[in-house]
Amino acid sequence: MSGHYHAKTPLGQVVNEFEETAIAVLLGLMVAITFINVVLRYGFNTGLIWGLEATTFLFAWLVLFGISYAVKITAHLGVDAVLNAVPHGTRRTLGFLAAVVCLVYGFLLMKGAWDYWANFANLPQTEGHWFPLGFEDMGRTSYRGWYEVNDIPFPEWLRWIEPIMNDGESYEKLPRFIPYAILPIGMALLLFRLVQATLRLISGEAESLIVSHEAEDAVEDVKHMNQED
Amino acid sequence: MEVAILFAMVVGLLLIGVPIAISLGMSSIIFLLVLSDTSLASIAQTMFQAMAGHYTLLAIPFFILASSFMSTGGVAKRIIRFSIAIVGHFHGGLAIAGVFACMLFAALSGSSPATVVAIGSIVIAGMRQVGYTKDFAAGVIANAGTLGILIPPSIVMVVYASAVEVSVGRMFLAGVIPGLMAGTMLMITIYVLARVRNLPKGEWRGWGEVFESGLEALWGLLLIVIILGGIYGGIFTPTEAAAVAAVYAFAIASFVYRDMGPLAARDGKDNSSLFKKPLALVTALFHRDTRDTLFDAGKLTVTLMFIIANALILKHVLTDEQIPQQIAASMLAAGFGAVMFLVIVNIILLIGGQFMEPSGLIVIVAPLVFPIAIELGIDPIHLGIIMVVNMEIGMITPPVGLNLFVTSGVAGMPMMRVVRAALPFLAVLFVFLIMVTYIPWLSTYLPTKFMGPEIITH
Repeated sequence: MSGHYHAKTPLGQVVNEFEETAIAVLLGLMVAITFINVVLRYGFNTGLIWGLEATTFLFAWLVLFGISYAVKITAHLGVDAVLNAVPHGTRRTLGFLAAVVCLVYGFLLMKGAWDYWANFANLPQTEGHWFPLGFEDMGRTSYRGWYEVNDIPFPEWLRWIEPIMNDGESYEKLPRFIPYAILPIGMALLLFRLVQATLRLISGEAESLIVSHEAEDAVEDVKHMNQED
Repeated sequence: MEVAILFAMVVGLLLIGVPIAISLGMSSIIFLLVLSDTSLASIAQTMFQAMAGHYTLLAIPFFILASSFMSTGGVAKRIIRFSIAIVGHFHGGLAIAGVFACMLFAALSGSSPATVVAIGSIVIAGMRQVGYTKDFAAGVIANAGTLGILIPPSIVMVVYASAVEVSVGRMFLAGVIPGLMAGTMLMITIYVLARVRNLPKGEWRGWGEVFESGLEALWGLLLIVIILGGIYGGIFTPTEAAAVAAVYAFAIASFVYRDMGPLAARDGKDNSSLFKKPLALVTALFHRDTRDTLFDAGKLTVTLMFIIANALILKHVLTDEQIPQQIAASMLAAGFGAVMFLVIVNIILLIGGQFMEPSGLIVIVAPLVFPIAIELGIDPIHLGIIMVVNMEIGMITPPVGLNLFVTSGVAGMPMMRVVRAALPFLAVLFVFLIMVTYIPWLSTYLPTKFMGPEIITH
């Protein structure tokens, strides 16, 4: 089933292993927390108050982190009916055009992700509606490092960030800039993978950015069973 | 007018090979930035909230995971064996068993392509061995595979429920009668064809085989009981039911069927038992197979949710511009009644279902048609089932139905042959669609019976 992607360099293998494990662990944690909460409710008449919020944040982490990985292994779904019907040259041109659209998308979301996250981390947003035109002047309301999430308690081992982010005042709950950090991280990774994918298209290493359905790998695995006519 | 441009842009980007998610997102972003003062930051926030703010959608990764654990192992094989034991002795028995197996597998997984791959690969090969033509086999499986999104649990239904804020439990219940009916209609058609064409029949192997194979398949099939029983018994929310199902499927795959994990048979040896290796209870959690299955399910979740998150940005545009209200007003002004409206919905979805991943399509179309349906007095649950059935048919309607692609890959046949092979059964599903559309009772009976009448709030 899995393991269709093989990295070429040792570093690539390490990175791939990290990405796959991170995706597995995030999903595993989501299931574990939800399941444990059900058990606690029926078995012990109690529950983890922060369980639900933690699960939804993990969900966001899973998806936002995974998008870039899916670009790397060309797993995003698309329509290839037209691409398969046109001659090779046209297909390359269209593929390149599609890549440019994706890059613009990645770039715009990168700006959006930064702008959303920055103030929560006491950092300046960028100016400009479409393109970043320099950083804003930080006003009094731009420092929002003290915003906390609703339920997740602040972990003790993170106390050292209080002087840096919160003028030395103690956090009761997890500050928002931590869960929201996946936005700029995920979008930066997405942009990076999109650049790589575009380069693959230009060099002719890849033909398109998409697969036509989610079961493409699985079909490849069972094809041999009914091949002969 | 602007809406026409928006949708033209989405379709244009799709056709040149931009991923579905980015086609939806890019068009919406351009639209929002040009026409309103929405900031990119709030678009990024919408992306984050797509996951962090939708408790219902949380059921999707869990259902995907449960079905991944179930399909890693030999559940498909066990279900097929059980199906053959029950209906294999009729005329056209193996084909009927194929449909039956698809129905059972559909209840374990929420996806149609996955059903075609898991059941089709085995059944098509089996049918050819006993003398069916490849075309007949492929036609049967392509159609029966679409039941994956109609028979609960279904990912598409979770998305619909979340998009228009109806109860997931109601949607699941509503899918039961139509799902059984569609399967039965396909089976009867095959039986009639089999009598006419004198297709091969298997032999009756006795009740012993039924019980033995049933017992083998039982562990897998209990998953349905946990999910549906848990939700309707008021024990779990659908999201919790999905998480419990995932843990259950993991336990069954690792410790009972032992097709994966530390107890699986390797290098020609038999699987070992839990009594010999009690430590497996712990090591299974960290086993490579477990990680790989989690990763596979995670990967699928990512691609689906990326589409849904971007579809939510598009939905944001549509509601901002009051598009659903405009369409509703103009349709009502033109004097369209419920019947005409449903025909239009049918047509939109049949065309859309050709190109789009079903969940993404639902996120976009549901908020468009929902207010109109309410205005016309159509039950929201009924509307949901109509939309799901439409999308099923979209998957096997030429030229580019998704299931046709998958079947052509699985059966090793060119697209056009699969299209021709699927046509007779497609006609059956069309009759089914008309029945579902105009007999609301089929969808609303069970939910009303078990969960009380629906309260519609505007």
